[in-house]
Amino acid sequence: MRYLREGVVSIHFAGIDLGSTMTKIVILDEDEQIKASVVYHTGAEHRRLANKVMEEALSKAGLSIDDISFVMATGYGRINVPFADRQITELSCHARGVASFFPSVHLAIDIGGQDAKGLKIRDGKLLDFVMSDKCAAGTGRFLEVISASLGLKVEDLGDISLRSTQKISVSSTCTVFAQQEVIKHLSAGVPLEDVIAGLHDAIAGRTARMVNRLKIEPDVVFTGGVAKNIGVVKAMEENLRCPVLVPEEPLLSGAIGAALLGKEHVLKALARGETIQTGKRRLEEATFFQ
Amino acid sequence: MAYYLGIDIGSSTSKGVIAEDGSILARHLLPSGVNYRLAAQKLVDELLTKAGVTREDIACTVATGQGSANVELADQEVADIRCCARGIFSHFPSVRTVIDVQGQSTQVLRLSEVGQVADFAISEKCASGSGRFLDIIANVLQIKLEDIGPLSLESKNPVTFTTGCAVFGESEAVSRVSEGIAKEDIVAGVHQALAEKISALVGKVGLEERCAITGGGGLNIGLIKWIEKKLGVKLLVPPEPQLVTALGAAIMAEETYKQR
Repeated sequence: MRYLREGVVSIHFAGIDLGSTMTKIVILDEDEQIKASVVYHTGAEHRRLANKVMEEALSKAGLSIDDISFVMATGYGRINVPFADRQITELSCHARGVASFFPSVHLAIDIGGQDAKGLKIRDGKLLDFVMSDKCAAGTGRFLEVISASLGLKVEDLGDISLRSTQKISVSSTCTVFAQQEVIKHLSAGVPLEDVIAGLHDAIAGRTARMVNRLKIEPDVVFTGGVAKNIGVVKAMEENLRCPVLVPEEPLLSGAIGAALLGKEHVLKALARGETIQTGKRRLEEATFFQ
Repeated sequence: MAYYLGIDIGSSTSKGVIAEDGSILARHLLPSGVNYRLAAQKLVDELLTKAGVTREDIACTVATGQGSANVELADQEVADIRCCARGIFSHFPSVRTVIDVQGQSTQVLRLSEVGQVADFAISEKCASGSGRFLDIIANVLQIKLEDIGPLSLESKNPVTFTTGCAVFGESEAVSRVSEGIAKEDIVAGVHQALAEKISALVGKVGLEERCAITGGGGLNIGLIKWIEKKLGVKLLVPPEPQLVTALGAAIMAEETYKQR
């Protein structure tokens, strides 16, 4: 057991969050400070990617794989992390990660590339959740598809929408139909910023309806790739009728939560005097879809 | 001589006929685009040219479809389900169930013995319940839309789509291609998924033995076979399935005119 080994002073915890769209990894030190983080597009070759992001994070942190005491994997591709010591669902990780930035969080909203989640949290513990992953509308994919069709970068949408004075109302619930609706508005001469602001309002409205079941109660924290969009954050505040907090690195909450849960797992085991099973630590060039 | 004009401005395609006594003298189709008013104007002009008549020869015009309000010449606007029912009744008076598969919606009608709409159900919220789903998959697989149906019938092992969303379905199709799965199996899977949604919609209004398919979906032999397989009935296909609603509109124009 590396963590207990005599003479080993390096104690680090890695969390890797293999999401449908983005793969995120963080390495925390003993004091839970981020030593390194890496974010990549997930693509199709999960196992190879997992190795790659780990290698890169280690080199950023100036560490070797043996310096990592425990690796926790989460996200929808979590079983495809060959060097993980343990896997855990992303819901627990998000809750843990968010509570580490904002201990007073009561509702966490995470909108990723292919799903949207609402988590009800009390004292850092996950009490209940709602999730939507059946339909692209309401996820980051909605904005990605439409911005691509307009030749815009998804990361520019937020700033563009801030110029809006009169946002449109998007009546389509489907991404495909909304795309068409947007083109109609633009060709009728509606300014781009009003159209984009309307899209942000649509996704925020959908999310608000989804999380309504959990009771909307501050502090509300917003994470995931879509939380990087200031326009959606503002629209979310309007739709939820309360302030919305966004961590500095909204993409990393799952990975940070995973690393923290890894640490807790190790500490609990040690307190019980158990040894900890860690997986094979060799970083390998894995074959696809193994 | 009096002529009657039926104009159907659909979400994807605008269709029009000039008819007299239920028989079509001129027909025209064009993409609706983003400006329905423009599409309607162009459609009317084309129809008049094709029929060799002037506006003054048109006794009455009925406009229908999503963009019916944009037809300047219209004497009356009628809901597309009523026009569709009227159109199919002129082809197949015994039909009791109509499946109208359009570019942006699917509607299923139950007709009374006199061809009146007794009940209907519409799927319009989601692209995966309409012809649009096929369009998207054909596009991403680089297959012509007219080839996608016949190709689907060559499949021996249709792919099961795990998602009910056209956007996620598109990604799923790309993943399947990268795994080396044959295109016919992928397109068969999409047809199957759409046929499943349509049959659920049929279930809402009830299936009758005499069932017809109209709209752009009626041009897709693959979709017809997959729906037939799912429902266990033979579908009646009118000669010009996309024009049924426009023809119904023209017939209603004639009926309105003669009642005056």
